[in-house]
Amino acid sequence: MSGPGHIVDGGDLPELSSIEVDYVVVGSGAGGSVTAAVLAESGAKVAVLEEGGHYTKRDFNMQESWAYPALYQDHGNRATDDLAIMILQGRSVGGGTTVNWTSSFRTPERTLRLWAERHGVRGLDAATLAPHFEAVEKRLDIGAGNPDDVNANNRKLMEGAAKLGWQPELIRRSVKGCARLGYCGLGCPLDAKRSSRTTYLADAVAAGAQVYADCRVKLVETDRGRVRAVTADVLDRGSDRPRARLVAYARRGVVLAAGAINTPALLLRSKAGLDSGLVGRRTFLHPTVPLIAFYDQPIEAFYGAPQSVSVHHFADRGAAAGYFFETAPIHPMLGALAFPGFGDTHRRIVERLPYVQATIALLIDGHGDDTGGSVEVNGDGRVKLHYPMHARLREAAAAALADMARLQLAAGAREVMTLHETPIVIRNEADLAQIAAAPFGPNQHTMFSAHQMGGAAMGEDPGRSVVDSRGRHHAIENLWIADGSIFPTSLGVNPQLSIYAHARLFATEIAKAR
Amino acid sequence: MSGQKGESSRLDRRRFLKRGLVGGGLLLCAGALPFAFRSTLRRRPRAPLRLLSADEYAVFAAAAARLVPGDGAGPRWPTADALDCGGKVDALLAEVHPDMGSDFRRLLRLFESGLLGAVVAGSPRPFTRASAADQDARLEAWRRSRFDLLRSGYQAIKRLAHASYYSSPEIYALVGYPGPPVVPAVAG
Repeated sequence: MSGPGHIVDGGDLPELSSIEVDYVVVGSGAGGSVTAAVLAESGAKVAVLEEGGHYTKRDFNMQESWAYPALYQDHGNRATDDLAIMILQGRSVGGGTTVNWTSSFRTPERTLRLWAERHGVRGLDAATLAPHFEAVEKRLDIGAGNPDDVNANNRKLMEGAAKLGWQPELIRRSVKGCARLGYCGLGCPLDAKRSSRTTYLADAVAAGAQVYADCRVKLVETDRGRVRAVTADVLDRGSDRPRARLVAYARRGVVLAAGAINTPALLLRSKAGLDSGLVGRRTFLHPTVPLIAFYDQPIEAFYGAPQSVSVHHFADRGAAAGYFFETAPIHPMLGALAFPGFGDTHRRIVERLPYVQATIALLIDGHGDDTGGSVEVNGDGRVKLHYPMHARLREAAAAALADMARLQLAAGAREVMTLHETPIVIRNEADLAQIAAAPFGPNQHTMFSAHQMGGAAMGEDPGRSVVDSRGRHHAIENLWIADGSIFPTSLGVNPQLSIYAHARLFATEIAKAR
Repeated sequence: MSGQKGESSRLDRRRFLKRGLVGGGLLLCAGALPFAFRSTLRRRPRAPLRLLSADEYAVFAAAAARLVPGDGAGPRWPTADALDCGGKVDALLAEVHPDMGSDFRRLLRLFESGLLGAVVAGSPRPFTRASAADQDARLEAWRRSRFDLLRSGYQAIKRLAHASYYSSPEIYALVGYPGPPVVPAVAG
């Protein structure tokens, strides 16, 4: 090891450059950062290539107008191809962890069993993952849920669920010294959030890894069943257009951790490792359905820890798709995008912003016969995400809306409003019947996703999966995937912590095999 | 249950075909509308445009003017022009994938079309030259259309207009948002 590495801005790279390292890691979020740290600490020479820019707490000004274009994919405009589901996905040094709302859950054992029983995943049970979860939880300062984290927005979720016997739980958060400002999604100006930039990426750099910001990997180059290099466009941060090129040669291997949309897209663009026909298939989103309620007293959902309470009472609905409830912070722009209508009709909702409580239902996709969505790349390299809402998810959405409305009424809401383009106002149980009859086609109800999973599923059968149960590609022996792409279904909980733990397991085994 | 599923699957296929045909037709229309902007009522951008043409800018600015708080809002609410929504969106589109920018420009051409306006909302004038009431009717027709493609188009324009408007500090007080808290400087 030759001393600490650096985070290199793309602007400092020449027009054409090449590097040679033991391992190239593509992506610097949860999966990429811990992979880089483990490999660098094992003595390997590591380079991390990150498409987004390098920003620190001094840049995080808590303004939506700056944060979404700077810190999110497609400058905050990523969505399914029909625009029906807005996609919140990070893009900067730190990846999704820069803008994550800090909610931390281990992979549910029920989900691990499903993967073993139906998707051919082997040797990946709770006991195997436990030491990796413990290590990550320690590094990210994830402690027990803290009742002091609960703001008014989350308190309504807690109170409503408790009244209905739905067992609300405090959410464990990846923070240290959190001031509960409410701006996790715009980058933490205090570095209180334990993002990968402040934890595992810092560890990787301390162990000698080089991190290259502004480098969009375009191609994975393979030769006789091995990956030998990746090529990247170095982006001008002002215009986001290519200004230079970087070729990174990998002596030992490449680990893809660009996220569950960009990793499959990279393989598709490279025409590499597509033998299974499953790359970019079975993409899952936890399609998320918000419901707003108006209270007489201020809620101020724009302040305080964004998420501190969750409800998993409906996660297992037997043959029907399950769902779980959390809250969403509501700053003016995010709220305005979610609220239906336009002009003065829309204004009359926005004007009540301080009194709005927002509960969200995250639909657990892929656990039944719903096969999720797909990622494709067009001739110009643009990523397209297609996600048809399966009938079982539409049923779950309607059921979840009714249950969230019950919860909000139980918590004392004056009225509840669905975010159908023709909203339904609910003041009592009798009003709930309108929900099932309301249209739920694309763009007839606000939906978003902050959890992208699948698209390069793991499993032991090369005919049914892309990588094995330790992330190694079935056909390219020195290529691994260590991000949310590997999950055969959605998780049923927020995925960030699971991505860290799985990646740590994979990286530990890669390092051992050296 | 399996019967229902089969029926649903057939419906989905029919819906897809319908959407595909209508979508394909509309895109052809958009491609065959070289003169769609011939009578576009232009607005002057504040700064040189980076991606949109003057006509495309004018269509977006006209739509944004109706999408943000309007006639009933009172004078405290700034107009979309006052917050330079068109300029902000032009700057944003200049940095997204070129294909996304092209799609949005094509959409604006379609949205301006009097021909499509006549079919969709009974208003044969170009959008920029329609009355405020007709413009609202056009937006409403796209918003509630039974065709997926029109609803998608509405959402694309609506989201960019609302994002550029409601992320502006000028509207914070109007929506009861005190703005980000002051964070004490932290060393390091």
